[in-house]
Amino acid sequence: MNIKEDGLSHAFFFCQQLDSAQDLNRRSLEKELGLRIRFFPLPCSGRIESLHLLRALENGADKVYIITCPEGACRHQEGNTRAKKRAAFAQRLISEFGLEPDRLEFVEAPALPSPSIDRVARDLLAREIRIAPLPWAGKEKKVPKEISRKERRDDYRGEKAPRRDQREHRLL
Amino acid sequence: MITAERKPLAEIKESIASYRKLLILGCGSCVAECASGGEKETALLASQLRMDARREGRSLEAKEMTLDRQCVYQFIDQLAAVIGDYDAVLSLGCGAGVQAVAEVFPRTHVIPALNTTFLGQTKQPGLWLENCRGCGDCKLDSFADICPVTRCSKGLFNGPCGGSKNEKCEVDPDTPCAWQLIVTRLEERGKLSNLEKVHPPARWSKKEGRGPRKIAREDQRT
Repeated sequence: MNIKEDGLSHAFFFCQQLDSAQDLNRRSLEKELGLRIRFFPLPCSGRIESLHLLRALENGADKVYIITCPEGACRHQEGNTRAKKRAAFAQRLISEFGLEPDRLEFVEAPALPSPSIDRVARDLLAREIRIAPLPWAGKEKKVPKEISRKERRDDYRGEKAPRRDQREHRLL
Repeated sequence: MITAERKPLAEIKESIASYRKLLILGCGSCVAECASGGEKETALLASQLRMDARREGRSLEAKEMTLDRQCVYQFIDQLAAVIGDYDAVLSLGCGAGVQAVAEVFPRTHVIPALNTTFLGQTKQPGLWLENCRGCGDCKLDSFADICPVTRCSKGLFNGPCGGSKNEKCEVDPDTPCAWQLIVTRLEERGKLSNLEKVHPPARWSKKEGRGPRKIAREDQRT
């Protein structure tokens, strides 16, 4: 599947220990896919909190991944097992109000040395998509991502921007 | 420490159904320690409620705030500046916290989001055990600092009952036998003779039967 076509937003939380060149590698994929993909490097996956995962969904990610080191390979002993428990807790929280638990996915990276983080992300994105966009995505008014200078000038309290000589007559 | 557990989301939703602007109020003391009402849990609940409202196409403004203690006026006073902006307060404090906030702001509906459960200790991360019933007549000194009223399933002052197996309680095999613990510790301390004393029944009048209890100390009053 072409990873550019699914139309979904993805958030990747991942352990930095997986890829020493993660900074370059993730940026290359972020550049390629734009705002549809966001990476959040963690010093260890054990740093993840259920709240991070919920906030990612709340802020528009259709699918959120937490990518950890393979079992038994955590540099800090049990960071990945903690991340697994917190992901499971977050899944329970979102299913409480009817959101599919699949939207949060715990992913154990292949055995070390694992492939680069962009490779892992590409493999995940290339899988068959089983989730729909967030149910509220279409219901809310979309905020333009970038407002041009002219638009910003004209969009003054919903009206056309006053000319300089008119400004002193406006009610504040 | 007072322990509590969060109510099911469906129950919380039902109680806040008529409100559009909510202050989700956490407490940074006991319920934060037992991971049910601290800053993190407050943020999690607020996030859940906001997403749920968006999913159902409802409008809901849910802001989070956590007080150091919800049961002390000096901390509750911080709400004075903001509480007027909200239709109701959803409190993640214990029952005492909810009532204290409602007492300071009697016109505001303060809704409990937690079920207050027991007085306990943090046994290990993620595990809290009841070890005090607040009976008002502490006898721990006689029982090697292990409360038989709370930790013995039968609440025996003059145990053991003889029903424990492999040091576990016969009522619940997951619970260590309190009397086994008492005897072992008394042995270690060389005070096994404590067991020769026959204890009269507890004076429950200090715990219940006279309405809400009160502690008043003149030296602490202003």
